[in-house]
Amino acid sequence: MNLPIALNRIRSKPWLWSFLAALLVWLATLGFTGGEGAAALTSSALSFSAFFVIVGVGQMFVITTGPGNIDLSIPANIALSAAVGMKLMDSQNSLIALGLAGVLGIGVLVGCANYGLIRLLRIPPIIATLSASFLLQSMAIAYGRSVRIAPPELFYQFSTGRWLGIPYLALAVALFTVLAGYLLTRTRYGRWTLAIGQNMRAAELAGVRVERVRWATYVLSAVFASVCGVLLAGFSGGASLSMGEEYLLASIAVVVIGGTSVAGGFSNVPGLWGAALFLYLLVSMLNTFGASAGVRLILTGVIIIAVIAAVSGRKTLRSL
Amino acid sequence: MERHTLRCALLSTALLITPFMHAQADTADKTIALSNNYAGNSWRQSMLNSWQQTTEQAVKDGVIAGADSFTTAENQATEQAAQIQNLILQGYNAIVINAASPTALNGAVKQACDAGIVVVSFDGIVTEPCAYRISMDFKQSGLDGMDYLAKRFPDGANVLEVRGLAGVSVDGMIHSGVVAGASKHPQLKVVGSVNGNWSQTAAQKAVAGILPSLPKIDAVVTQGDDGFGVAQAFTAAGRPLPVIIFGNREEELAWWKKQKDANGYQSFSISSAPSISSLSFWVAQQLLDGKQLPHDLLSPAISVTQDTLESSLKGLEKGGIVSQVYSVDDVAQLKSPAPQ
Repeated sequence: MNLPIALNRIRSKPWLWSFLAALLVWLATLGFTGGEGAAALTSSALSFSAFFVIVGVGQMFVITTGPGNIDLSIPANIALSAAVGMKLMDSQNSLIALGLAGVLGIGVLVGCANYGLIRLLRIPPIIATLSASFLLQSMAIAYGRSVRIAPPELFYQFSTGRWLGIPYLALAVALFTVLAGYLLTRTRYGRWTLAIGQNMRAAELAGVRVERVRWATYVLSAVFASVCGVLLAGFSGGASLSMGEEYLLASIAVVVIGGTSVAGGFSNVPGLWGAALFLYLLVSMLNTFGASAGVRLILTGVIIIAVIAAVSGRKTLRSL
Repeated sequence: MERHTLRCALLSTALLITPFMHAQADTADKTIALSNNYAGNSWRQSMLNSWQQTTEQAVKDGVIAGADSFTTAENQATEQAAQIQNLILQGYNAIVINAASPTALNGAVKQACDAGIVVVSFDGIVTEPCAYRISMDFKQSGLDGMDYLAKRFPDGANVLEVRGLAGVSVDGMIHSGVVAGASKHPQLKVVGSVNGNWSQTAAQKAVAGILPSLPKIDAVVTQGDDGFGVAQAFTAAGRPLPVIIFGNREEELAWWKKQKDANGYQSFSISSAPSISSLSFWVAQQLLDGKQLPHDLLSPAISVTQDTLESSLKGLEKGGIVSQVYSVDDVAQLKSPAPQ
């Protein structure tokens, strides 16, 4: 057993880094509290990470399709979907299905609108999705300005409930990531997505239906963001206009820290979980240490850069 | 000699009466613009509503020719500075500003003043001396919350502080009030502090993250738009509910009422009134009318206590904030802050 091979094996699994980082931060926090609250901290980390992972999967698909592809409409989409979902459900268990259907519909529409701007008007994705997000945010403000409608009891129970300390939501999202991993590595859609990200021209010549795959990718990302929005509203007892704000950077950060290549063509599904847990635990740790906001922001930035630097060791091996 | 006295009397009467005759009509052909940097939360929505209601009525009554509101899309100082320059070119007589930055707009504000435009800033104020500033005594509001807790917990309490957006001056001012309260009442121990960013979801997340490491929390001081999220975090963690100092939001008061009915929960709530926008409108109108006012003015804070909870909730729309209607007469009641 020689060390370089073992190291290479670790390097070929870049998602390990994010889990390692999350574990270290978790241990540091518990070291500070003397082991107190381990279960509670883990449980809340799983809850909040689940939301990051849902939007992270969508953003990962988009980023995988190649340089320049990104979905910046996620935060506004979350705010709009949460408002519409809560209004449709109207706090009644019997209307949960209707609310979910409405939210999925919004996701599909938003995805199609994003893709339409990119494809038909030939606007770069970064600008197309950003301008779409202004429209969505304005709709959310107009439609949901007075929305703090409580979620239906059953929906609230599902969003906040736990089984042996593990949130239902985390279990559901874990299953969802397994499916997403299968979709990406075992199906034609997934392989095509990776092929496009590696070289769009080559993929096209090889018979990949490039535009259809890109359309599907933007729709998936929007649908996942919508689902995240309605679940978040269930989790926090209602929708609010600013609820999506932190998901703009977070959705990109979990993808990158998780080991997905920003240049496209290489994704990493398990890494999303590691990265989401890491981001949540990092802020908790610095809060627990009593760091002031300034120190917290600086350390968050420095640590994220360090982890990304460690993760991207893979690139030198692949040497593009 | 006789005629001369009469002429004097007539002339002085006319001089005395003139300003009163013009009091209503003087601003009838003037226009006022609102430059606002952000609209994405419930406080800002209420603020814009209040502006709209007040100014529509004022236009209808012929007090003013027009009062349009403009909100920037990006919440950025550069964008708002450009917007203010446009408003100058469009020839507004007064500009009322809720600023993205206390200092970054000063250049544009100075240009407006030099063009003879009255500039009134509120909530997010600007430091340019030629502008007027209307803001709440945020430090006092932080201190008021701690004073209430000192009365509730004479034998001491563990307090968690939920702060706003790091780097924003209002957060610093409320925080300084909390710090002052902690040194004034040594039995109140601040055992943890997180940034809830004035957002229910962000506050819920931050509090859920720090709770496992904290001892029993007796009370939480918040800054507004975050108390409901704090309550959610405590419920989800299965912790006993602390006394949460709220920020006048409908969902917070509704939750308080529910707890009060269920188990006699008691608390206190304080925040600035979103109708400060209409107060600022009246200040601008009065200045255009030639009134002299100090450049720094204090707007009153609104608080809700155990006794006024029901009356405050009554008529408050879902997702709204406790507010009050200001009229032109309230301008005369405004005080300047005590010199520091």
